Amino acid sequence: MSSADTEEQQQDQTSPADEARRRLLDELKGALGDAVIGEHVQGGDLWIRVPAGEWRRTAETCKSLGFTYFDFLSGIDWMPSAPNPEDAETLSVEPEADAEEAPDAEEAAEAEAEHEAEPQPSEAGTVAAFETAQPEPESGWTTGVAGGETRFQVFARFHSPTRKMGVTVKADLDDESPSVASIHEIYFGAEWHERETWEMYGFAFPGHPDLRHIYLPGEFEGYPLRKDFPLLAREVKPWPGLVDVEDLPPAEEARQDAVINAAQEDNAGEQSEGGS
Amino acid sequence: MGVVEKGTFRKPALKPLTWLLNYSRKYSLWMYQWGLACCAIEMGAAMVSPRYDIMRLGVIPFPAGPRQADLICISGTVTDKMAPAVLRLYEQMPDPKYVISMGSCANCGGPYWDSYSVTKGVDQIIPVDVYIPGCPPRPEALLEGIVLLQQRIQSEDMADRWRGDPIVVG
Amino acid sequence: MALTEQQQRAYVASQAADARLNVELQTEDMVLNIGPQHPATHGTLRVVARLDGEQVVWADVVCGYMHRGYEKLTEVRTYPQITTLVNRIDWLSSFANEVPFILAAEKLMEIEAPPRAQYIRTILFELARIANITLFIGTMGADLGAITPVFYAFRDRERILNQIEAVTGGRFHPNFDRIGGLKDDLPRGWIDETKNAMVRVREFCDELEELLMGNEIFQARTRGIGVIPSDIGLSYGLSGANIRASGIDWDLRRDQDLPLAWKDLDWKVWTHPDGDSFARFWVRLQETREASKMVDQMLDGLPAGSIQAKVPRIIKVPAGEAWVHTENPLGEMGYYVVSQGGLGPFRCKIRSASFNNVSVLPWLLRGAYVPDIITILASLYFILGDIDR
Repeated sequence: MSSADTEEQQQDQTSPADEARRRLLDELKGALGDAVIGEHVQGGDLWIRVPAGEWRRTAETCKSLGFTYFDFLSGIDWMPSAPNPEDAETLSVEPEADAEEAPDAEEAAEAEAEHEAEPQPSEAGTVAAFETAQPEPESGWTTGVAGGETRFQVFARFHSPTRKMGVTVKADLDDESPSVASIHEIYFGAEWHERETWEMYGFAFPGHPDLRHIYLPGEFEGYPLRKDFPLLAREVKPWPGLVDVEDLPPAEEARQDAVINAAQEDNAGEQSEGGS
Repeated sequence: MGVVEKGTFRKPALKPLTWLLNYSRKYSLWMYQWGLACCAIEMGAAMVSPRYDIMRLGVIPFPAGPRQADLICISGTVTDKMAPAVLRLYEQMPDPKYVISMGSCANCGGPYWDSYSVTKGVDQIIPVDVYIPGCPPRPEALLEGIVLLQQRIQSEDMADRWRGDPIVVG
Repeated sequence: MALTEQQQRAYVASQAADARLNVELQTEDMVLNIGPQHPATHGTLRVVARLDGEQVVWADVVCGYMHRGYEKLTEVRTYPQITTLVNRIDWLSSFANEVPFILAAEKLMEIEAPPRAQYIRTILFELARIANITLFIGTMGADLGAITPVFYAFRDRERILNQIEAVTGGRFHPNFDRIGGLKDDLPRGWIDETKNAMVRVREFCDELEELLMGNEIFQARTRGIGVIPSDIGLSYGLSGANIRASGIDWDLRRDQDLPLAWKDLDWKVWTHPDGDSFARFWVRLQETREASKMVDQMLDGLPAGSIQAKVPRIIKVPAGEAWVHTENPLGEMGYYVVSQGGLGPFRCKIRSASFNNVSVLPWLLRGAYVPDIITILASLYFILGDIDR
């Protein structure tokens, strides 16, 4: 997905910010060689994906290329599960359910259109943007930009105050025993972030000096940010949290319509053209 | 006060003494401020800002420790990691002691009602006398809570102090 | 005193070895526990320091007493609901927390707020910065033993809060930012009142500069205390005034292209070469004054027009990933939003400034003296909610 996606981006987007990122990508590829297995440039931002074994070397390379500032390190769990089962039932276009039942962008957009009682004229523009931006669904779980093959990913972001650019680095981790080398000796700030990621996702960081709880009490069980960690309060007490579209009181609605109408009149020219 | 509680005097004779004791207590409340989250800033504004100035109500902030305090103001989110410390400091306070729960988080968990790490209300750990709703409550709300608590202290009978329902401001 | 970590470790080890050789001078290590409820920690941070006499040999920071599980909660809420939630991360500059999150959602939806909304956003952002750093100036004095600045800070902060309240209705949890614009326009008469308030802010800065910064005791207690070399600071991810006080000329308001008003303004990024506690205080004080001038410029150049772009009634963000970071009062705050096309984000990594700013403490406190612990904690300036999220 990633390579085709990137080529498409290269053709239709030529903003100077993206150009700079693409040059940077070439530089990174030159330094890392075949280790770059996924890449993505969009909206003035750069993502690369490396194998977990190359994680430490990637960090070293980034630092030597001037990315001296450590932004963050964390993880993603791509398992498409609804944290709140009731919400998934009550709401047909629930986000996590999308990945399983309606992976197609058009289907989701249609579902949205049906779901909404009063489609507004401004819908069209958004739906068009929605279709173009939706990445092609892979077989199995939807993963993010720069691709991914496993359930868990570790990702980190390094920034360069002198180049004024940043890069997001991702790596796929093993499903059963996710583990990746610690980079705390390269970026000192990573020490706490790795502790946090270990606590939240259960990733092991060989080489970390002191992997212990940072936020939660020592007796806490489970890894809260994994998608299969349930929020007990939600299991006990249903709350229509994701459905927040009930009708407003008439006075409030009239006021909001006035605001939206004013906004529409103001932006009528360019937006209606873009939408149709 | 021990004399009053043990009932050495008869009730009619005790009334003026109780009144005097309560009057003295209500205007010398040493408040231990347990500032935890956003509400702590509003509590701080109530204490040190000249606009609100809690001391004109006879509430004295910044005691040296909980052992000298009459009143504790829990302002902010209590997490499961913090809860044992809250309980421990509350137990160090001498009787009679009062608790103000300031803000939605301390009252019931507030916007973190479904979080895995937040205690859903400080009243699960310690008894609360005054609930102040709001996220965060304005300093005026804290002042009102204190005034209401003072009214209760004035009309209090030492023997059945704990029987009243908690006060809810607003 | 630009030592690398290895050099500093070696220095402390040699000091400890000297003490061991000289048996008469040897003292038993003492463990000093500061917090979790200590006035100097401004909340519930706990610092555990092992002392050799008056010197810290080893220090550890225990955080998490305010951990509320933001990143999990964002996964079960919709985008408008998260705006309410992120207000409370750094509770002293709430509006500044909303902006990068809304910008990340807007980036994924490929919409942009109208110019007037961008200006009002930036004005409120800078007002939040002033309200936040005013308090820092006061509490820094209080932590060093000067009580008066706190009263001044709370007095003058009320003026800013009044202005924020007049627009948003909330003293410091405005929840005012919307995807595509703002909830409301400015009230009548607000511009003149804000200009008056900005004059007062500059007066406050002048007053505190004379009252506190010129004070000999204050200088003696802050100069040369807690020096952070720039490379160490960057490696730990220090941001904001903490890194600018170490001589790094880096400000995300200037150095990136965001749909906000900063690019139109004439202003200066303040840096200081020393990297000590005094430099951090000095930079923040200058930034407060600079922010008030920026607000003045924006009020003069406020464009007319609508404050809300066209957005669908139900906010659904297209699939994709976006990272938006801004220069918040405490430093760099960013949101990494992963959307799968739903009503809420699939994953939202919140990068808060204080977490990284505080992670330097175990390194920084090594070799410091006990009274300097408080100076260093105060000068790094963290908000507990911003550390623990």
